[in-house]
Amino acid sequence: MDGKKIEEIVITAFNEYFETQDIQGKVDADTVLFGEESALDSMGLVNVVIDIESFFHAEGYNISLTSERAMSRKSSPFRTVSTLVDFIAELIDEASK
Amino acid sequence: MDTNKIILITGTRKGIGRYLSEYYLEKGLVVIGCSRGESDLAHPRYEHFCIDVADEKRVVEMIAAVRKRHGRIDYLLNNAGIAAMNHSLLTPLSVVERIFRTNVFGTFLFCREVGKVMAKSKAGRIVNFATVATPLKLEGESAYAASKAAIVSLTQVLAREFAPFHITVNALGPTPVYTDLVRNVPKEKMERLLQMQTIRRFGTFEDISNVLDFFLQDGSRFITGQVIYLGGVS
Ligand SMILES: NC(=O)c1ccc[n+]([C@@H]2O[C@H](COP(=O)([O-])OP(=O)(O)OC[C@H]3O[C@@H](n4cnc5c(N)ncnc54)[C@H](OP(=O)(O)O)[C@@H]3O)[C@@H](O)[C@H]2O)c1
Repeated sequence: MDGKKIEEIVITAFNEYFETQDIQGKVDADTVLFGEESALDSMGLVNVVIDIESFFHAEGYNISLTSERAMSRKSSPFRTVSTLVDFIAELIDEASK
Repeated sequence: MDTNKIILITGTRKGIGRYLSEYYLEKGLVVIGCSRGESDLAHPRYEHFCIDVADEKRVVEMIAAVRKRHGRIDYLLNNAGIAAMNHSLLTPLSVVERIFRTNVFGTFLFCREVGKVMAKSKAGRIVNFATVATPLKLEGESAYAASKAAIVSLTQVLAREFAPFHITVNALGPTPVYTDLVRNVPKEKMERLLQMQTIRRFGTFEDISNVLDFFLQDGSRFITGQVIYLGGVS
């Protein structure tokens, strides 16, 4: 799966969640996912992470976004949409090895 | 209880888990079971996975497979558990590790993975397995009692974390029930243990399913983070 496709899946997951919660605004690659600049609270992020994971599971990629790797990084992969996409690409790459 | 509900039970090869599988099959549910060994339970609505509940990769794969096939999981019973009776001064660390892996890590992993599936459908009931050994502070069961104390704590915190998803998390603490788990405990020791209960007898399989039915019934949607001990133990 290429980066473009992963980005599409991630952005769709966020936009769908925003819609169900009546959160204004659209998500793109530079959208900040948490902290003061983010429209999401921590429960919101949990919700979207579950959605994204289950999407990839359904496609046959049993990746886990809550891996130790994600937690132990100096800078969290959950900062922006594009850092999250890079992280997922890495996980998928590794899983297929 | 609605038939066509999907219940996932861990540790179904024998003992309480085996009884519960047959009990819920009888009620018409789809039962998904697992244990390290094969199961000889053959039923069109029973599916068995041979996995160790503490093996993260296999648990993730199992739940992904169940989700793919059924789309949801209504109930989770974290029944798989092991015990060891021994004085602490004579207990190797490897035994403590084994107990914690199955009882605590296994329960955690299933709560996490099944919790995600339940969160998607904004509904679900989880029941974890505690024991009276914890409140009775049974000598000779330090590792076992401590592992189950961890399960109580996990139950109470997860109840809060999962509440926004309409998932309840409760625990059942059985008294001794006559299974392989307690078969090797010397008779006098068991007798002394039963004397510590308010109602002094072995628990039965029906005592267990009775409490589970309460936690799982639709009307119990306002019951979470609770631990019910059998035999009047508290
Ligand atoms: N019986 C009692 O007196 C009593 C009292 C209080 C609480 N409990 C609790 O009730 C639960 C069931 O106990 P029980 O009496 O039915 O025990 P049991 O007869 O020894 O059965 C244990 C079941 O768990 C499975 N299991 C054990 N370790 C596993 C692992 N790592 N991964 C997957 N499956 C595993 C076993 O199958 P495999 O060997 O094939 O894996 C078996 O099906 C336990 O949580 C126990 O602590 C029992």
